Amino acid sequence: MDATVKSAHLTHEEHAPAQPALLTHPSAKYGLMGWLTTVDHKKIGFLYGLFALIFFLVGGFEALLIRTQLMKPNNDFMSAQLYNTMFTMHGTTMIFLAVMPLSAAFFNFIMPLQIGARDVAFPRLNAFSLWTFVAGAIILNVGWIGPIFGIEGHNAPDAGWYGYSPLTSKVFSPGHSVDYWIMGLQLLGVASIAASLNFIVTIINMRAPGMTMMRLPVFTWMTLFTAFLIVLSFPFITIALVEVMMDRNFGTSFFEVSGGGMPILWQHLFWVFGHPEVYILILPAMGIISEILPTFSRKPLFGYPIVVFSGASIGFLGFAVWSHHMFTTGMGTVATAAFALATMAIAVPTGVKIFNWIGTLWGGHIMMRTPMMFALGFVWMFMIGGFSGVMHSAAPADAQQNDSYFVIAHFHYVLIGGSIFALLAGLHYWFPLMFGRKVSEFWGKLSFWVIFIGFNVTFFPMHFLGLNGMPRRTFTYDPNLGWDTANFIATMGSYVLGIGMTIYFIVLAYTFFKGEKVKKDYWDGRTLEWSLDNPPPEYNFRVIPTVHDRDAWWYEKNHKEEIAKEQAAHAKAEEAHGGIHMPFGSIWPFVASLGLLIVAIGVTMFTSKTTPGIGPKLGLTLVGGLVTFIGIYFWSLEGNEGYHIHLDKDGKVIEDGHHDKH
Amino acid sequence: MQKPSPTLLAFGDIAYQTFSFPHDHMPTLHSTIARCARAAAALAGVVLLAGCDKINFWRMDGHQSTIVVEGPVAREQLDLFIITCWVSLVIFIVVGAVLAYATFKFRARSADDEHAEPPPQGHGNPLIELSLIVASVLALVVIAIPTMKGIWNTYDVPEAERKDAYEVTATGYQWWFKFEYKSETAMTDAKGGKTPLITANELVIPAGRAVRIHLRSFDVIHSFWVPKLGGKVDMIPNRANILYLKADKPGYFWGQCAEYCGDSHAVMRFRVIALDKKEFAEWLEQQAQLGRTVTPSIASTPAPRGQFAALRQFKENEAGITIAYDTEPLKAWRTKQDPEKNEDPALIAQGREVFKKNSCANCHTIRGHDAGGVTAPDLTHFGSRTTLAGGLLENDATQLRRWIHDPLAVKPGNKMHFGVGAMAGYVKKNDSGKGYTRNITLTADDEVALVAYLHSLK
Repeated sequence: MDATVKSAHLTHEEHAPAQPALLTHPSAKYGLMGWLTTVDHKKIGFLYGLFALIFFLVGGFEALLIRTQLMKPNNDFMSAQLYNTMFTMHGTTMIFLAVMPLSAAFFNFIMPLQIGARDVAFPRLNAFSLWTFVAGAIILNVGWIGPIFGIEGHNAPDAGWYGYSPLTSKVFSPGHSVDYWIMGLQLLGVASIAASLNFIVTIINMRAPGMTMMRLPVFTWMTLFTAFLIVLSFPFITIALVEVMMDRNFGTSFFEVSGGGMPILWQHLFWVFGHPEVYILILPAMGIISEILPTFSRKPLFGYPIVVFSGASIGFLGFAVWSHHMFTTGMGTVATAAFALATMAIAVPTGVKIFNWIGTLWGGHIMMRTPMMFALGFVWMFMIGGFSGVMHSAAPADAQQNDSYFVIAHFHYVLIGGSIFALLAGLHYWFPLMFGRKVSEFWGKLSFWVIFIGFNVTFFPMHFLGLNGMPRRTFTYDPNLGWDTANFIATMGSYVLGIGMTIYFIVLAYTFFKGEKVKKDYWDGRTLEWSLDNPPPEYNFRVIPTVHDRDAWWYEKNHKEEIAKEQAAHAKAEEAHGGIHMPFGSIWPFVASLGLLIVAIGVTMFTSKTTPGIGPKLGLTLVGGLVTFIGIYFWSLEGNEGYHIHLDKDGKVIEDGHHDKH
Repeated sequence: MQKPSPTLLAFGDIAYQTFSFPHDHMPTLHSTIARCARAAAALAGVVLLAGCDKINFWRMDGHQSTIVVEGPVAREQLDLFIITCWVSLVIFIVVGAVLAYATFKFRARSADDEHAEPPPQGHGNPLIELSLIVASVLALVVIAIPTMKGIWNTYDVPEAERKDAYEVTATGYQWWFKFEYKSETAMTDAKGGKTPLITANELVIPAGRAVRIHLRSFDVIHSFWVPKLGGKVDMIPNRANILYLKADKPGYFWGQCAEYCGDSHAVMRFRVIALDKKEFAEWLEQQAQLGRTVTPSIASTPAPRGQFAALRQFKENEAGITIAYDTEPLKAWRTKQDPEKNEDPALIAQGREVFKKNSCANCHTIRGHDAGGVTAPDLTHFGSRTTLAGGLLENDATQLRRWIHDPLAVKPGNKMHFGVGAMAGYVKKNDSGKGYTRNITLTADDEVALVAYLHSLK
């Protein structure tokens, strides 16, 4: 839709009747209420990032405890039960509470800026996604009250992040731990699907004029693919979780062996979600890398159409390879062969990306700055992880590697060397834009090298451990199996990695408060977000830009006169339509999410009454449902109008049109 | 397998150059730290390279090695793995070299360089891109062909050997393995009752002969993995899986459950013992017998009673293995087939009473000794096994006493302590559903007698 037409459309809605008191639009911009009611995609992105980083540190701490237990054979640092809880929570936390929301932070903050939009399509739905994610994170972690306060029956989830049935059944997991896991993941699923629908609609409908699909920055493309993967894959886990919840609470037999249920069905449902989930974790990372490499090579991405198309192929093929997680379940020869071949096929589009990234460097003027270091580290580490991935696709060889430390080495090369390195690169890369300050090159590079060395010392020996027969998810091992040295080295490496991460985050926090201030377009960027002042104003673009080329901002910098004329005309047109239109904040998305949290607490923390009547379980669940209903009801009543901002020639707000409704 | 070295060295070089980046006007302290970091990176590389023949993990020849293998299935899987390694290594070196070259060659070396006229804004080269795609497809075909061959070769016993294949059924329990020889018969009583032969935690198979193992599970999902003989296959409830194995020659192999199955997954282990034709037949014959009853006439001089008087204290997770046993396990296993020296018939008889009094027979079977429980390992020939507690501890007097003294301290959550189904264990679930009360208490004398009795079951 053309931007000018759109603003004309929006002005039409402003003649709303006076609002009843309950529906007064919140005007707080700062303080707690400011954060709870914000619908600004940048603030929501910031909160996503903040929560993700906190959980990243929690998950990292859990990892260090795991490595400490395995430092030497027969260690008694942790009990078996606590260890099992640790690896379950480490996996779940890192995937759902660290990497996914950190990617979501970038989707929120950067993607609308890259397509020249003033916000996402549904700003309040965006706030709802954020708060529902927080609710899910709370439910997943609330079980720690068991081990910490010694409350019997309550424990953080301990059946593995993949929760294989029948271990999750009432017989084998009688406490509440699996309930926390089920409801936590359900809420995170709701949050992810809502956010993804929002991103899809935003990217398809809210691009600036001239921003054709084949001019989208690659990061935005990867956001789009990731959003589609989430929308298409999460329903599988949602259904599977509902089924296991019914097995546990209502005596159904989806997976219950005694009732003729099929535990193998869980594995299929889980991995039809679980494998696309892997690409949900890596595609955003590939998008970030595809932004950083061209910027710091000072030339466009090599083979843009093929990079985009390979992203699409990876996403598409990602739905056809789930059973390669199940090569040892005795699927039979034909199914195993088919999934092995499909898995190998994914190596082609992945390899293509690596070739194109190298092509991007070729002939460039490479500026070796911290984001570039992390990006190059990503390419090297992701290559290693990719090769061990191909090794797994050879199904007979995988029969030895599956569930061994070789797999752990493989996916940490993909998820730390891949996703995390790219996200750390992205934080450094976009930091000047987000906060107007730059991270010290020296400390940034130092943290890179400590992380890089620590990471390799931790995970490279695990290849050997796996090939030497060490199985996953084991809290102890004997000294006669030849695993002592490698485990000790890995543990030392993990401490180095921990130190590296600590340096990284201390430097980041320091920079946030005290870092050197920088002017806009600090890296001499290529995409539209760099055309903004830093930090970007709440309305993002003073004038909705018109896009003439794939690297839109690079083009603008090289065609200043033409662009200036064009923008002046657009500014006039927009002012004629009433100025910059902004959405109102709202508390109702938060209320709706709060209701879901209460529902989840009711379902998970209390046991069912055996007598008729309303006990705390049903009672709290109903109260939560009511709160959610109220939230959504008022959310829809308050309407979707907004207010206007008017700017003077220098871009200063001349009239804060907060209650300006005409 | 020396992949890290080129990577590390290349990055060491980048480290060197980036820390001396001309733009960064670093104060002295910074350059000192930079120099230290550089030295540390170089040192790490050197240690990794120099230490490679001294560090044992590099050799990967442990008891559960997938690299030093002893059967055709594991060998086929290994050969395929080696092919994938070579293909990966070649591509990694080529791509890595190009990447490293591009990084160095096109690096801005000065401020002027960085702010020089932007390079040509080329968007790609379809010919190069397409030929790289074709090249990657070809590389994958090199892996795909042996993969397809391997899938069909390792899934089941090859057609030619199928008639001669030996069939065994393995069932996973939390946290031990039951092995059932349906084609072999064992005596149930002196009157000629017959039952299929059942044993636990140590699977004895004929060497040089294809073995087809039928995999079942009693409770949750387990996975049967003997790395030196072949890859794993899962034991899934409501699903009939099979696994094909073959040992080249007689040997003693370590196995482990490879699917997370609850608290004690890490210590759910087992052994496979491959014997030549004659010895295997002897073993079968021995196993078919009823549980051995020791009478004074067949025992040698009684031993002094004080030998296990004091119970050794064990730390949590302490290993239950000895070097002598570990270096020659098959020899240790053969020794176990013969009656213990210095057996004390009186003590053994006392142990049998302890076993009976504490209702051990509710869960354990000892054929010929009025014990027929089926929810726990069959103990008819327990004394002839090299390990106990699901392959975790060596089957000697000290470790056996450690186990029966407090099984929970050895295996977290285990069913001998908590009971299984309606059967109580060392403790019994309270009727209220909350908490447990003690069900079995063994005195030191009981323990010593029980050890003697169980070890007499050859």
